[in-house]
Amino acid sequence: MNNSLLIVLIASGVAYGTPLLYAALGELLAERSGVLNLGVEGMMLVGAVMGFWTVQRLHATTGVALVAAIAVAAVAGAMMAAIHAFLVITLRASQIVSGLALTIFAGVYGLSSYLGNNLNLADQPARHSFSAVFPSSMQKWPIVGPIVFGQNVLVYVSWACVVAISLYLSRTRPGLNLRAVGESPAAADTMGINVTAYRYVHTIAGGAFAGIGGATVTLAITPQWVDGITYGAGWIAIALVIFAFWRPELCLVGAYFFGALEALAPQLQARNIQLGPTVLWTSSLPYVMTILVLVVVSSGTARRRLGAPSALGNAYVREER
Amino acid sequence: MRVTVERRLRQPRWLVVAVPIASVVFALAVAALVLLATGHNPLTTYHQLVDAAFLQTGSLGQTLISATPLAFTGLAAAAAFRMKLFNIGAEGQMYMGAITGAAAGLYLGGRGGPSAFVIASMVVAGCVGGVVWALIPGILRAFFKTNEILTSLLLNYVAGYVLTYLIFESESYWRQTKGFNATVFPTGKPLPHSALWPGWTIHAQGGIAVPLGAGFGLLAAVVVWLLYSRTRFGFEAQVLGDSDRAARYAGVRVRRKILSVMALSGAIAGLGGASQVGDFAHALDGDPNGLQKQGFGYSGIVVAALARYNPFAVVLVAFLIGGLQNAGNTLQGATFPAGLVGVIQGIILFSALGGELLIRHRIRIGRRVKGPAPTSPEPAA
Amino acid sequence: MADAATIAVSMRGITKRFPGVVANDRVDFEAAVGEVHALLGENGAGKTTLSHVLTGLYRADEGHISLYGKPVRFTAPREAIDAGVCMVHQQFRLVERFTVAENLVLGDRRGAGRSFRIDPSAVESQVRELGERYRLPVDPHARIWQLSVGEQQRVEILNALYQNAKVLILDEPTSVLTPDEADTLFETLRQMAGEGRTVIFISHKLHEVMAVSDRITVLRAGRLVGTVRTADATLQSLASLMVGHDIETRRRSRGAQPVGPEVLTVEDLWADGDRGTAALKGVSLTVREGEIVAVAGVAGNGQRELAEAITGLRPCRKGTIRVGDELLDHADPRTSFDAGIGYVPEDRLGTGVAPNLPISMNLELRSFRNNSFGPLLRLRRMRANAEEAIERFEIKTSGPQMQTAQLSGGNLQKVVIAREFSSGKLTVLVAASPTRGLDVAAVETVHSYLLDAAESGTAVLLLSEDLDEILALNDRILVMYEGRLSEVQNRDSLEEISLRMAGSADGLDAAR
Repeated sequence: MNNSLLIVLIASGVAYGTPLLYAALGELLAERSGVLNLGVEGMMLVGAVMGFWTVQRLHATTGVALVAAIAVAAVAGAMMAAIHAFLVITLRASQIVSGLALTIFAGVYGLSSYLGNNLNLADQPARHSFSAVFPSSMQKWPIVGPIVFGQNVLVYVSWACVVAISLYLSRTRPGLNLRAVGESPAAADTMGINVTAYRYVHTIAGGAFAGIGGATVTLAITPQWVDGITYGAGWIAIALVIFAFWRPELCLVGAYFFGALEALAPQLQARNIQLGPTVLWTSSLPYVMTILVLVVVSSGTARRRLGAPSALGNAYVREER
Repeated sequence: MRVTVERRLRQPRWLVVAVPIASVVFALAVAALVLLATGHNPLTTYHQLVDAAFLQTGSLGQTLISATPLAFTGLAAAAAFRMKLFNIGAEGQMYMGAITGAAAGLYLGGRGGPSAFVIASMVVAGCVGGVVWALIPGILRAFFKTNEILTSLLLNYVAGYVLTYLIFESESYWRQTKGFNATVFPTGKPLPHSALWPGWTIHAQGGIAVPLGAGFGLLAAVVVWLLYSRTRFGFEAQVLGDSDRAARYAGVRVRRKILSVMALSGAIAGLGGASQVGDFAHALDGDPNGLQKQGFGYSGIVVAALARYNPFAVVLVAFLIGGLQNAGNTLQGATFPAGLVGVIQGIILFSALGGELLIRHRIRIGRRVKGPAPTSPEPAA
Repeated sequence: MADAATIAVSMRGITKRFPGVVANDRVDFEAAVGEVHALLGENGAGKTTLSHVLTGLYRADEGHISLYGKPVRFTAPREAIDAGVCMVHQQFRLVERFTVAENLVLGDRRGAGRSFRIDPSAVESQVRELGERYRLPVDPHARIWQLSVGEQQRVEILNALYQNAKVLILDEPTSVLTPDEADTLFETLRQMAGEGRTVIFISHKLHEVMAVSDRITVLRAGRLVGTVRTADATLQSLASLMVGHDIETRRRSRGAQPVGPEVLTVEDLWADGDRGTAALKGVSLTVREGEIVAVAGVAGNGQRELAEAITGLRPCRKGTIRVGDELLDHADPRTSFDAGIGYVPEDRLGTGVAPNLPISMNLELRSFRNNSFGPLLRLRRMRANAEEAIERFEIKTSGPQMQTAQLSGGNLQKVVIAREFSSGKLTVLVAASPTRGLDVAAVETVHSYLLDAAESGTAVLLLSEDLDEILALNDRILVMYEGRLSEVQNRDSLEEISLRMAGSADGLDAAR
């Protein structure tokens, strides 16, 4: 039963969806503060390459190397986000163009490719990688075995992050302040909340999450580095935040759904199931589905569009005139 | 010491030109640091860059090869971005234009028509391919209010898969099926002779080949400029780009405008794709490491932003960035790492963005002026 | 004579400059404990700027401020709030998506406010108690966007009281209230002053300032003109202090012009607002040639939607709009324009002009199609038209290529008006809040244009929240309340108008 297509799809969906989840959670934080960061793909790729580099070059035990790699990936992503934050918060540049610039700078045509090739990281397996935490006996349990117990620690940490961020937003004062900053920076400013600081912190945190998401790919899913290894996952993550109405719990559901779509292609191939021009159809499926869901969500009633933080995309200037 | 940022009342002309130039200089300086940090000598690298881009024999011709597609994607981006329609899909629209252009070339060229006719059809077909691909995000935006950034971008990936599929994963019309090489490595069917786009040769530097596409690119720039500054279409587009409420008030048919601008943008990008086939590859290039690795669509955004969306400036900047891209391709290897082009382009764009602030605002650094010393309050009148 | 101990706020030599204008020029201002002190001046006189300096939103270039005798310098709004100085702004500083309780929690810095975990329900009882005590009832669970504008203002005031404001500043608070609600507000303010708080009341309306304040400080063009005791002042003395000279307000004389046939006929109009709920519920009205019909009402009752429906910007579910004999059967700005309807929208910078485009383009915003040779624009003719309009309407600008957003409010409105009149005589002119935020000279100019239009035969529909304006320019007065119109029978009766604005006019109509 555990080998049925459905179970495998769900289990793989969780695995493949984890990078999406991290990146989406990060983008959610940034957008809740009012900053749109389109550079997620670039940040993920930089995190992916730097995390991989750490694991290949650091001489340490598996545990230490992996923790260090995640930390490095987070810092790398954060640094990328800091550039964007500086441009759009302090210099009030267009958030859209700046995010695109970040993707070009850090993405598959830029820094991540530069670092990967320059540091000779291609064509080699990772020296350490994340593997399942629970013993294989537990993984054989029906249904929950592969889905819940067959995952690596990054997956479990992501669950904790979802809960933490959810509580942060709804039950804590900084979370309330964050929401105010994203909805109405003028009101927040009058109440004494430092809009600039909140935006910086959450945008940079968003970058850290994206970096970890990227490292998940090179250290857990395909423990190898390839140029552009995320194949657009960063963009799906941005769309994911919209589908999830900027709520962490829904990000989880969405991420696993798209993860399952990504897992569809290799699974069908392994089972020799043909679905038309297989590769084209199944490779495009995640992207096409994203577009379809976007259309449905965006064309909803005005109530739905009220989901976005009202100040998203706009620079905040205190002294107008 | 207090730093105040205040909006300028007028935007001085010289700044508008100076800032992009300063951005490039600044970007090169920062990139030099990156090079140093990774053990390369920036001066020699830059020397090699300029050499490979413009000075060596044959380099100008090579630069034109890189600049031509950039002119198209840059114009495509500029035409749309100016109206605040963020068409990021020029990459995919270019692929589609290549597909349809190649189809026209293969089919009509094979029928033995006059070359001018075949080429004209390739041009039209290329535009159509780009238009169709651009209308998908256009329709979604106009009728369903879906954000065009994400939709146009996601379609780039789909277009890439389609392109690869046609050559690598199927026995399609575009694929070369005869000959020994065909079984070893999938390639596109070569275009018949009448479908090859001619060029001119400028007698300098040992002969510079100017592709026909470059001419089309210039033409496109003129058309875009005319359209935006001299016609009702452009007037309405400018108003819509500035304020959609005012546009509605002015009677602009918003949906129609969105569709036409996206179509225009897609047509230009598609033409760029046809040019790729007709001018350079002479077949459909479905290799994932070929056209799809060049990133012309994304570089086009950098070109457009640096040119501040002015069509003629786009052509000029495309030439310069084309030089950079050419140098990157030529020098690729141990001394000139892959990815550096994207890094430099990214930094250029960052600096241009930062420079925007200087154009719109004035930064004043001054001391706080003290007021009169407080006296005891006087009784109210 | 006030002695030093009872002075709450003292501002000396305050100067604040912005690019191109000196908003406050060495202004002195002082308010005592337990008084309601009015800050009077026309639009643009510098009242709001001064209060923003006091509350830390702006930093003065020169000058000193002291609070209860101690010098203070606020660098951020929060510091002012912590010192007990709170402001109720014209544009509310509330988070629309939050509930009333959440908004109060947001600003809370004392006691429970310092905790990491928050619990908005704890605030509820306080909200209710404060609401009862000060006649500001509001549901703590309601989200701000669900409340009417008047209720939102109550939340702002409650917020200040919750923060224990000792100095409360209100910026033009009655612009969103009916006359009765304004009276209730004045009672609340007097109550607060009686408790020892200081209330600073910013306004440009003479009647109100006379009704509620103890002392009045008058500003003109950024300078202090003088401070008087309300008991010693009269409407005329205040008016001349405010404006510096006697102004002849052009008013619409009764029975002035013979009005012609009905030109604009609206019957049983139903239309939805932006939130999907009905904004117009069966509106009917007629305007005759050369007549000025003034529609009064507090913001948010459907005036904007009515103007948009008539000018083709908003589709209607039911009902008809006719200009002369022509039926406008679907919403299209171009058709309305061709039918001769001109529109001066209340939202100048948003709908009225494209802010970043040059003036010449904005002047052609409606007529560029007529000034073109097929698809090509006649640029030279457009530029000539622009220069002519700038001269005729005396628009103060550095040239036709100047960016429109840089114009002052009055000149901006002139651009809008110039554009509407440029195509010749209008059949109908719809003007929504045309003088909001304009200084007296600009108000005069706009009123002149409206009166001239009526005199030359245009049917004018004026929608305004400013009762003075309504009373000065009308042949008939209608009142809009919750999407329905009623006509005022006795135009001299402020009481009737006020009742209709509050929706309680059914008795009046039934009794007849």
